[in-house]
Amino acid sequence: MTAATLDRPATSARLLSALQVVHWRNLPLMAGLCIAAILMLMPFLWMVGASLRPAGEAYRLPPSIIPREWTLAAYREALGSGIPFVQMYWNSLVVAALSTLGVLITASMAAFAFARLEFRGSTPLFLTMLGGLMVPPALTLIPLYFGFARLGLLDSLSALILPAMASSFGVYMMRQFMLSQPRELEEAALMDGASYWTIFWRISLPQLGPALAALGIITFTTSWNNYISPFVLIKSWDKMTLPAGIVALQGLMGAASVSVVMAAATMAILPLLLVFLVAQRFIIEGMTMSGLKQ
Amino acid sequence: MRSPFMSERASAYLFLAPGFILYLLMALVPALATLAFSLTEVDRFTWGISFAGADNLLFVLSDRRFWTAFGNTFTFIAMAVAGNVGLGLLLAVLIDRQMPRAVLYFLRLAFFLPVLVATALVSLVWQLLYSTDLGILNYYLNELHLPSVSWLTNSRVAMVSIVILDVWKHVGFFMIIQLAALQGIPRSLVEAGELDGAGFWQIFRYIKLPYILPVVLFCVTYATITGLQVFDSIRILTQGGPGDATISLVMYMYEEAFGAQDIGVGSAAAFILLAAIAVTTLVQWRIGRRMVAQ
Repeated sequence: MTAATLDRPATSARLLSALQVVHWRNLPLMAGLCIAAILMLMPFLWMVGASLRPAGEAYRLPPSIIPREWTLAAYREALGSGIPFVQMYWNSLVVAALSTLGVLITASMAAFAFARLEFRGSTPLFLTMLGGLMVPPALTLIPLYFGFARLGLLDSLSALILPAMASSFGVYMMRQFMLSQPRELEEAALMDGASYWTIFWRISLPQLGPALAALGIITFTTSWNNYISPFVLIKSWDKMTLPAGIVALQGLMGAASVSVVMAAATMAILPLLLVFLVAQRFIIEGMTMSGLKQ
Repeated sequence: MRSPFMSERASAYLFLAPGFILYLLMALVPALATLAFSLTEVDRFTWGISFAGADNLLFVLSDRRFWTAFGNTFTFIAMAVAGNVGLGLLLAVLIDRQMPRAVLYFLRLAFFLPVLVATALVSLVWQLLYSTDLGILNYYLNELHLPSVSWLTNSRVAMVSIVILDVWKHVGFFMIIQLAALQGIPRSLVEAGELDGAGFWQIFRYIKLPYILPVVLFCVTYATITGLQVFDSIRILTQGGPGDATISLVMYMYEEAFGAQDIGVGSAAAFILLAAIAVTTLVQWRIGRRMVAQ
């Protein structure tokens, strides 16, 4: 993006170029943007601050971001046995991990068929799957509820995982990536008598690392943040996942529990935040790619 | 026996099967079932199904509450699209210049972090910020000698409060997409304008904006389609209230299907939602084609 990112000159030269890219007339603008950015972060800072305050101080005004008294009591209570928070955390992890794994495997396999193999019905089948891009999740919720009820899967983690594994977008995205890959290597392997499974597993898939990572991030985050599906499909605490579960906890515990709810929300956001700090650029690219789906 | 993975056609169907069956069972069949439900009267206890024709649709279309939800959703969309896409474009234009990498990293972090986290969880935080008596927003308003605002309990203000949360949550997404578009403009175009003596505003208005207009249009469509499905934030902040002042289309659908237990009516509402999404997509496609033709 900037000249400084293109190569790696010696430290002094790097410092010089870093100074050069600061256009001094941009300084007031940069300051303004940074103030706006801090305002954007305020709700998060306040959330963490409230989680570290003693219960009685949660509503103290003026609101100080940095609590006067630090305490981890809210975290202890959230992680204690009185609240099903740890169970919900585990459920969220299982649902997100299995959904992601399922999407990565089934979508890349289907994409391989559409991008590389010739078979009767290829085009109509692909168009059928593309139609799924327009179907909003809310539209399928009513039949899924009654379907799962009849199968005895209502109020189970499967009711959250199975629908999340069906990803038109994943198939479409992986197909686009595969089409942009050179196929010489695959053709050579075919001539050498390799099976299509070997070609897929040993040659195509390893080239798709970045695409798989992007799709994985999108799927994991979507599942981790999903509120409406568990809200409709899950009834018992030991099957609940985080966002819907924390909202239900807040309703159950009432206003006195602000610091506990904020501690739970902080812990629910933490893994996304940590990954984001490390792989910021990559995640932004992956998430904006999901915008292509419409 | 020869492995089926040696034959191209057999492999194709095997690769396709898992993803396609999932798509069929979890997306396509439920979507069609919604259509079927909307034409029938389902007795939830005996599973007796009788054909109801257009009765459900006519009921929805004559239900004043539906039109309230319809109007609310479009008010929300009008404000949220303007806020998200407009503010996102403004931020993108401001950030699109040479900056030290650390500043750019911080800005991207601050504006994109809300995009990454669950709407349900940040709604819990904003609920506290918006609190009339104990909320932080009113505290600072009072400090500035301004009267308190009933952010969530005044029917004229509540939807605006929801839009503010929505713009805070999503503006980073629209900023990043439009920033990428701005950075894709060939330098020679901008330099030619500069040589002709065009100012900052003229370069933006006559060179940059026409170039990125398709991306802006995409953002408007995307924001409209996600706006049509608004649910999480409203459900947590106002539960559709006060009265029905903030009830949205998806909320109406949810309450009819699961609250009032009228599957047919809920499904009919879901289909109106799909129709609205289809119309939005179609309009974007038509406008996009005209833009390309010019």
